Amino acid sequence: MLRISEMHDVRFDGRHYPYVPPEALRISETLRLHGDWDAEVDPVTFEVIRHNLWHVNEEHGATIQKVSGSPVAMYALDLNPSILTEDAEFVYFGPYMQYMSGVTDTQVKWILEHRSDNPGIHDGDMFLANDPWVGAAHQQDVMLICPVFFEDELFCWVTNCLHQYDVGGITPSSFCPAAESAYDEGILIPPVKIVEKDVIRRDIEELYLRASRKPEMVALDFRAQLAGNTTAKTRILSLIERYGAGTVKGVMKRIIDNAEKAFLDKMARLPDGEWQERTYVESCRPGDRRTHRVVLTVRKKGDRLTFENHGSAPQDGAMNATFSGWRGSVMVAINELLCWDQYFAVGGALRHIDFNPTPGTFNCANFPGSVSTAPIQAMEISLYPAYNALSKMIHPDPEMRRDILCIGGTSQWPCTVFRGIDQWGERYGYILVDPIGGAIGAFAHADGINTGGQVRTPICQLPNVEHTEQSFPVLFLYRKELPDSGGAGRFRGGMSAESCFVPHNTEEIVQDTLSSGNAAPTSPGLMGGYPSATNRYAYVTGSDIGERFARAEMPEDIDEVEGTPVHLELRQQNLVQRAADVYAVRWCGGGGFGDPTERAPEAIQSDLDNFAITEGAARDIYAAVLDGESGRVDAEATARRRERLKAERVARFGRAATVRTGDLLHEVTPYLHARRDGRGAFWACARCSAELGALDDNYKLGCNREDRHISASNPLIGEPRDFINDDVEFRQFSCPGCGTLIENEVAVASDPVLRDIELRIRA
Amino acid sequence: MSTTYLCGLDIGGTFTDCVLVDDRGRVVSAKAPSTPGDFAEGLMNALGIAARKCGRPVSELLADTSLISHGTTVGTNAIVQKRGARIGLVTTRGHNDVIHIMRGSRGLDGREVRQVVHIPESRKPTPIVPKRLIRGVSERVDCFGKVVVPLNEDQAAQAVRELLAEGVEAIAICFLWSFLEPAHERRVKALVQDLAPGLFVTCSHELVPKWGEYERTTASCLNAYVGPVTTSYLADVEARLEHAGYGAPLQITQSAGGTIPVETARRSPLLTLDSGPVAGVMGSRHSGGAMGYDNVITTDMGGTSFDIGVIHGGEPACSFRSKVHQYEYYLPKVDIQAIGSGGGSMVRIDEVTGTLRVGPESAGAEPGPVCYGRGGEAPTVTDADLVLGRLNPDNFAGGAMRLDLAAARRAIAGVADRLGMDVDACAAGITQIVEFQMADLIHKATIQKGFDPRDFVVFAFGGAGPAHAGVFAAELGVSKVVIPQRATASVWCAFGAASVDLLHIYERVDIMASPFDLERVNALLASLRGRAEAQLLADGLPRERHRFRYALDMRHKGQIHEVEVGLDEMPLGRLGLDRLPERFTALYERLYGSGSSLAGARLEIVTARCRASAATPKPSFVRSEERTPDIPPAARLGERSVYWPRVAGAAGARATAAGTAVARTTVAGTADAGAKAGAETAPPGGAAPGRGLPGRVNTPIYDGHALAPGNGIEGPAIVELDTTTVVVHPGQALHMDAYGNFELFPGPARPGNGAAAPRETGARRIAADAG
Repeated sequence: MLRISEMHDVRFDGRHYPYVPPEALRISETLRLHGDWDAEVDPVTFEVIRHNLWHVNEEHGATIQKVSGSPVAMYALDLNPSILTEDAEFVYFGPYMQYMSGVTDTQVKWILEHRSDNPGIHDGDMFLANDPWVGAAHQQDVMLICPVFFEDELFCWVTNCLHQYDVGGITPSSFCPAAESAYDEGILIPPVKIVEKDVIRRDIEELYLRASRKPEMVALDFRAQLAGNTTAKTRILSLIERYGAGTVKGVMKRIIDNAEKAFLDKMARLPDGEWQERTYVESCRPGDRRTHRVVLTVRKKGDRLTFENHGSAPQDGAMNATFSGWRGSVMVAINELLCWDQYFAVGGALRHIDFNPTPGTFNCANFPGSVSTAPIQAMEISLYPAYNALSKMIHPDPEMRRDILCIGGTSQWPCTVFRGIDQWGERYGYILVDPIGGAIGAFAHADGINTGGQVRTPICQLPNVEHTEQSFPVLFLYRKELPDSGGAGRFRGGMSAESCFVPHNTEEIVQDTLSSGNAAPTSPGLMGGYPSATNRYAYVTGSDIGERFARAEMPEDIDEVEGTPVHLELRQQNLVQRAADVYAVRWCGGGGFGDPTERAPEAIQSDLDNFAITEGAARDIYAAVLDGESGRVDAEATARRRERLKAERVARFGRAATVRTGDLLHEVTPYLHARRDGRGAFWACARCSAELGALDDNYKLGCNREDRHISASNPLIGEPRDFINDDVEFRQFSCPGCGTLIENEVAVASDPVLRDIELRIRA
Repeated sequence: MSTTYLCGLDIGGTFTDCVLVDDRGRVVSAKAPSTPGDFAEGLMNALGIAARKCGRPVSELLADTSLISHGTTVGTNAIVQKRGARIGLVTTRGHNDVIHIMRGSRGLDGREVRQVVHIPESRKPTPIVPKRLIRGVSERVDCFGKVVVPLNEDQAAQAVRELLAEGVEAIAICFLWSFLEPAHERRVKALVQDLAPGLFVTCSHELVPKWGEYERTTASCLNAYVGPVTTSYLADVEARLEHAGYGAPLQITQSAGGTIPVETARRSPLLTLDSGPVAGVMGSRHSGGAMGYDNVITTDMGGTSFDIGVIHGGEPACSFRSKVHQYEYYLPKVDIQAIGSGGGSMVRIDEVTGTLRVGPESAGAEPGPVCYGRGGEAPTVTDADLVLGRLNPDNFAGGAMRLDLAAARRAIAGVADRLGMDVDACAAGITQIVEFQMADLIHKATIQKGFDPRDFVVFAFGGAGPAHAGVFAAELGVSKVVIPQRATASVWCAFGAASVDLLHIYERVDIMASPFDLERVNALLASLRGRAEAQLLADGLPRERHRFRYALDMRHKGQIHEVEVGLDEMPLGRLGLDRLPERFTALYERLYGSGSSLAGARLEIVTARCRASAATPKPSFVRSEERTPDIPPAARLGERSVYWPRVAGAAGARATAAGTAVARTTVAGTADAGAKAGAETAPPGGAAPGRGLPGRVNTPIYDGHALAPGNGIEGPAIVELDTTTVVVHPGQALHMDAYGNFELFPGPARPGNGAAAPRETGARRIAADAG
């Protein structure tokens, strides 16, 4: 399979292959772009207008939330507004659903290229679009794109994207886990002019709404999107009127230039090299028991970054994403790790970033692959490795190190899709929002955040249990944080949680499952950190829950309930849940950072006191010694035990180690240094300076390797073969000299050792 | 017959204020240093000073005082300093982690956006109740209020005993759906009272019977957290006042904009959080009402923050969710929005991009701005004001403090050099950035809520407020800024405390979808009224003083936004019920925009609310009968060189040439002149940066305390007061009204928003009356 850069004579126009904007856009000459701006804007005017533009975008988002008022907009914040320059560079992008960034500029560029001559782009127009090959994440993410004109010239764009309840397809909600292709999914709309001369075109609107099961809600959301764009456009025009078009545009360009400068400053502080991550998606259609590999590579050369997905599995079943979905995912990590200090003005960074995926892979699928589940599966799994890869890239710089983020919780979304008749006698269909509570992975200097939400939506909120119970016929037995769900580490990943419910005030609930990351953990740790728990469905039918209610003895865990445990598959259809059937869903937590046997004893004690870890994990994973009487962590005994374990590890292999010093080039990880002496550059253990091989080789080959069953990495991980046909290993690489744990790897047994870090040192 | 008094007492971080208002409206105010550790002492000191000013012994004065209203920050302090009680929580088994999960967010509302998007900065707060002190008890109620699982009394008793053994000083109880069926909470409360008589205990259904367990649990825990300390403080104050001779009721100001009897405050100390700033808003409402302003934006710019409240149609804008330390909780509250833009806001340059930023980090009072000479090194807004000549280094805070102009200038120069600007332009830029931030906040609190700021007058308070109000008011198209003066200005919150009614709010959630059942709605309202009436009677208030107002929080079924719809009658008639959707839609569309309401969609009633109030005596205002255009010679303090970002055209030239201000003969005249002067002289863009000609002008300085009602001043001018400085830009005008307040006319609004034409606002009305 070829990368985009290797494919010639192919039209990347958003039809069969994804739309990939060319270097220079082909825009009709009838459209005049505003290209005249002040190169110099005084610092005060700059700051005042900059602040204003940020607020324009913020008010744009608030307006959509206000008018929509839907739980999607209010809780999941599955929306995002942005401002782009006339030629579709990002000025600002809101703090809502971050995926939507990568799908915005490409759609605007497509419109410039394909709509500027016919039907033309004019003042008072807006374009509606949701075609994932042109640029949407999936069919439900509908964009409304508004050109802003000043005196007959296209001045800039304001756009927004909002997830819709239903745009058609074989499954209510338009998430179609059993779809075989896009023909089974929601309506596909390449950009169409739905607003013309400030008037909604009724014909187009009716066409848009026709396929939806919830046309009135989609119509209201369309009004919300319209109001958002109108608000933003009006405010930008009043800024132009006040300060002049040249000044406002000058500020926009400088925001991007500043962000570019900040990005380049960061690039200059980092070594060149290549970083790679590998993870897996499980099950692409009902009945599928394969794993599908996901590979992300980031290459840094000078001030340029290139992202690739080469090595990822071919497109298949209903698990895919398009180019824009993959790019959007990677851009989330770019935004949050590299552009947060410029308020996500990612346009500057994008001038130096190439996206070069391989079409036909499942996260760069060609038409007509099924992509309706993209954001909860293919995009999540494309995003989270990007955190690890970029975190490894920035570790050498002590200041940027503080921005490192291990993979967070809900790195694959375990869906609970349910429907039926509610307690008010009305038909409903819903996806349980709870996993959005996620967890934040560990930082390089601190623990992650328990149930701290999903990084890709920095400001989401999950509904109260009382909210969910009011709207749907369920009774929650519990919603609780789970000890050990966060990946172990010197800094622990945030804990995730589990929700458990029974049907209530209804005959039955009909469910579909849709998940991945139940066999192999998708939030592995970083730099010696351990993985979080996996996702889990638990189901006990014909239980004693009714008797327990009568006895006033509520369970605190589904395992306490007596009944018939039932194994749920990852893509199961039409599961019928009745009153005595107890259902629980656990979402995965955040990955850990650093070797857990280096975690401070007081931190372990605090974790025990706060139910963040179990005593078993304290002993087995953190190598703590608990005092027999008090049960408290014995710091001295713990230190002795940890030293002994390292010595034993060295002894087990009996491999000779050579201490080799030389100049320190980079602190590649806390455990791995790049050094150079007269004989060349090499890897070395950061603790004992044992050589781990030449810099041109994979440092892991210079380490002692121990392969363990994946369940050894986290007490909440079970047997992968329950779901997939592969074995999953937890590979540990340690220093042959001192036994220090250098890195871990989660891998399907048949996969080779991953070369996760390559550095290129200039002579 | 002897004089009777109303007394307002307010404890702030630095000073404790006392206001006495007699039955003829005369005001006596006093300040005493606050006494952390034993706040009641400072309170008695302030009272003593006020009594001396009245020439009467404290005991006699208190005997003649008909009402004391007290604003306390004891609860707020306990939270800010994280020194509340060790509390335990009893909740529904399986839901122990509600307050730790925080709805899966990191408590982001109201935080600076950078802290939100930069995940490493966005930690959850330190829990107010650790998991070890949370006990889940088997019991369950469903969304119909039906008991699904009976309370397991053994587990409950065991839970309480365990918490007591852990040494908790207060217990909060919050079960799922308890606002529909409170029996289980009641039973556990009784158990606590049996096992630990006298222990502070809070039930969620008593405190905030609202839908949403996270916010309800948080409210209950916070209430327990501040319970013991507030209770003992209030008992102390009560005892000391009684000992000193006070026999009438003691009322405590609350955050919903009224007072509550001290008994209620002891039970629900949460209601007192943030009540100080709220009292300030309520004081503005009262005095605004007396002056004829129904629509007021109150602004308070101090050292660290800029706080605003909105009063529309005489009613303060309210919110029903609050936040503290990233925690969100339910509490009906007068809505106060804040940003970190104060006099102490620090100026910084983004190293990489070389751009200028102001705030939100603040130098606070210690070390404070560079010019304070207390070790502050980062230039602040106050330093910029000083460099520009707006502040008098020798007469700051009534001369209590000398400011180091040279140091401030050096600090600003450091920034200016790096930006390649001259020092004055840089200082002016700093103030403009802050002024625009303030305008943005007001924009959010008004336009985004469906209000037009041009329909409002601005009240400007705080040490730094009147120096900047002229610009942000002009920016918003506001036609008048009032800077309250005379005896009440410096003790505004205490004054506000003395000016509000007693208020109890009763709420009940009963979620019902349209078509609504009239009897069910009325039964709901009647149950609220019954409880409210019983409370007012228990407070010793006769029926003829009772006033009840009713409202329903409604929404579109399946949507999130709730809108409070006020009711005109109770019981609601058929016609009133039928009109509900129409009223809802009108309000909804005002808030959320035209077309946002889904026509024909089903509606839901979520919460019913009864505001039960009893009017208390109010301070009145004394109008000065004498008004004069003649500025007393003592008020003229000469001139000083002041930098103006816009000394355009005639106004600047005139000010420079004449060097004195022109007095106007009437109030109305001043208003017109202000508008006219602005219209003639202001360049397009009003006070916008980057327009017009900046420069230094010898500017007249006035002693604000020596000015007299009827005096008018045209900008540019500076008016110095003990507590603040009023900056009158070129093209603006200032006038002292009959009550001794300053009115600042910010000049014409910027073009493009159609606000230049005079409008029939409160400001116009009062001007016409006075003329």
